[in-house]
Amino acid sequence: MPLQKLLKTEWSGLLLVVILAIMLIGYLKPSFLTPFNIQILLAAISVNMVIALAQMLIVGIGQMNLSVGAIGGLVAISFAGLMDVFQLPIPLAVLVGLLIGLAAGLFNGVIIAFTGISAFIITLASLSVFKGINLGITEAQPFYGVAESVKSFGNSSLLGTLPLLIIPMLVCLVGVWVLLNRMRYGRHLLAVGASPTAASLVGISVRNIVIGTHALSGLLAAVAGMMVVARLQIGQPTIGDDWLILSFAAPVIGGAVLAGGHVNVIGTLLGVTTIAIITQALVLFEIDPFIVQIFLGLLILWAVGINRLRDLRLTLFSKPA
Amino acid sequence: MIQENVFQEFGRKSFQNLKKWMVGAALACLTTTPALASDTRVALVPGGPHPYFAAWEKAGQDAKRDFGLSGADYRVPQKWELSQQNQLLESLLTQGYNGFLIFPGDPVGTNSIASELTAEGTPVIALAGCLKQPTPAVFCLGTDTGNSAYLGTKELIKTLGGKGKIAHFTGFLVDPNTQLRIDAVQKAANETGGAVEVIQVIADIDAPEPAEEKINAFLAAQADKVDGIVTTAWVPAVVAANSLRKIGDKRIKMVGIDHDEVVLKAIKDGYVHGTMLQNPYGQGYIGSFAMDKLRSGCKVNQNAPFKTTALTNQFIDSGTAFVGRDKVDTYIGAMEAVTKDLMASFESTYLVCN
Repeated sequence: MPLQKLLKTEWSGLLLVVILAIMLIGYLKPSFLTPFNIQILLAAISVNMVIALAQMLIVGIGQMNLSVGAIGGLVAISFAGLMDVFQLPIPLAVLVGLLIGLAAGLFNGVIIAFTGISAFIITLASLSVFKGINLGITEAQPFYGVAESVKSFGNSSLLGTLPLLIIPMLVCLVGVWVLLNRMRYGRHLLAVGASPTAASLVGISVRNIVIGTHALSGLLAAVAGMMVVARLQIGQPTIGDDWLILSFAAPVIGGAVLAGGHVNVIGTLLGVTTIAIITQALVLFEIDPFIVQIFLGLLILWAVGINRLRDLRLTLFSKPA
Repeated sequence: MIQENVFQEFGRKSFQNLKKWMVGAALACLTTTPALASDTRVALVPGGPHPYFAAWEKAGQDAKRDFGLSGADYRVPQKWELSQQNQLLESLLTQGYNGFLIFPGDPVGTNSIASELTAEGTPVIALAGCLKQPTPAVFCLGTDTGNSAYLGTKELIKTLGGKGKIAHFTGFLVDPNTQLRIDAVQKAANETGGAVEVIQVIADIDAPEPAEEKINAFLAAQADKVDGIVTTAWVPAVVAANSLRKIGDKRIKMVGIDHDEVVLKAIKDGYVHGTMLQNPYGQGYIGSFAMDKLRSGCKVNQNAPFKTTALTNQFIDSGTAFVGRDKVDTYIGAMEAVTKDLMASFESTYLVCN
């Protein structure tokens, strides 16, 4: 991509932030760029990116999915529980996990589409339902009997630096990118996000798009849940509890408009990367645990600010003389 | 129907686990005399979902049977949020519960809901974590977390030969025990006169994803500089044990906490030096017993040998024990003994009953 074209992309400011952060931290803390640390960083990015994609699609239609973490957590303990209790073969456990995620997403989508009640309210309620099922099944106890090959998948790497978890992430990333940029469904999705009324007037079924997008979101949350099980090697009932802020922060840092109609897959990837680097830097620089949250918030604001600065500069320079 | 069977099967599995790793067999030893039917209906309420508290459910069931209580039920807020815990407690009060064993969502903030409950004539005991005085809770029954962290760190220092650099991984910053643990680990290190240095404290990682991310980041950067790790919360102990196994480093010594299967297996395999056991079953069982006694007219013995912590001067230690490789297969017996000892003298020591 020619440099000028690259600079005009909406995520170029964020890319600059990421590159600068890597260079600066690598200079100050050489251990940051060791193969093992890069592997750790990429594993975190892989899981978090799938979580962010699950929310990004919903943001694309101008809605919110507060139950992303609860769906991921429910799938995680189901996936681990099926292997632990029933010794289900891994492909079958994965399939059931995906179906649970799909069903949970459909549940959200159908209720939102047919009742017209705000997605915020519906997913807030379903969050409670899915988490309640999780606690009912596990009684807050983890499932330990995760298959060895699943554990191995979550903790192995290619060439010492590329975790295998990057594979499902790339599949999801490419799939969502193609959906949004090369398929009619993706254009309809963004049209519904920009203006449901206008979309409806040109013949797009808003109801179908809402249901389908929530189903996809559930599916992606399911993939993320199973990836976390592979990484942690156990089915912890609290998986997913921490996803909500990240799931919104990464797409928004990456340029998504919360009102809907505009999202960016590469921007979201850079948003996830920014948050992962900041999180790791706080550990590397031994920041006092009681003020970590302050630093995290300020650094995210800084990253978003640089991207916004780039937007303003582009707007100024593109004005006719 | 299939779904129902799946849930039932999962439920059975959880129950079997519970039976296996807690003191199922201890009841016969602990039971005094079968009690007459009591109208005491106890709610055991943790701060949120966490595997540590799972033993409270069986403890409540056993106490109900052994002491003839009307109920002793384990009720879990869906999230670690003070507001959710408060709402649950209010709801349980309206449902007829008349005694509350509470892990405080916040050592100060939970005092207001505890006051509401006691104003309705329902006693409150702080369980597993204390409320900051002045508090309406009659006393606090839990692990002396500071002492447990201190003893665990001393064990670590001993296995390190009295010198080295250690890291401390601990739990939620809002947990009243976290600061006590941080201070205790530092105290144990300070006592070496500088031979042992706490090079990093990573907190707020008692949840899987942040624990995984931050502990691995720490090991990636500092594995060659750190000699020992002490973990004072459940999830960091599990994640750190797995991480040490993954990098195959038996040079770094680790002392964990609690009895998660992952930690126990890592001890057997030599990746973890040992773990500091707590006594959640004993807390739930003895707490339910004490609650019934308080409701039937007993008073707290103001001259009892309560311990003093940073939060309260009415603290009762539910016990802690270090378990290394040599005792890992018999750890349940160690905690049964602690519970039995405490139970045997609890009424005469801490209560005044006519």
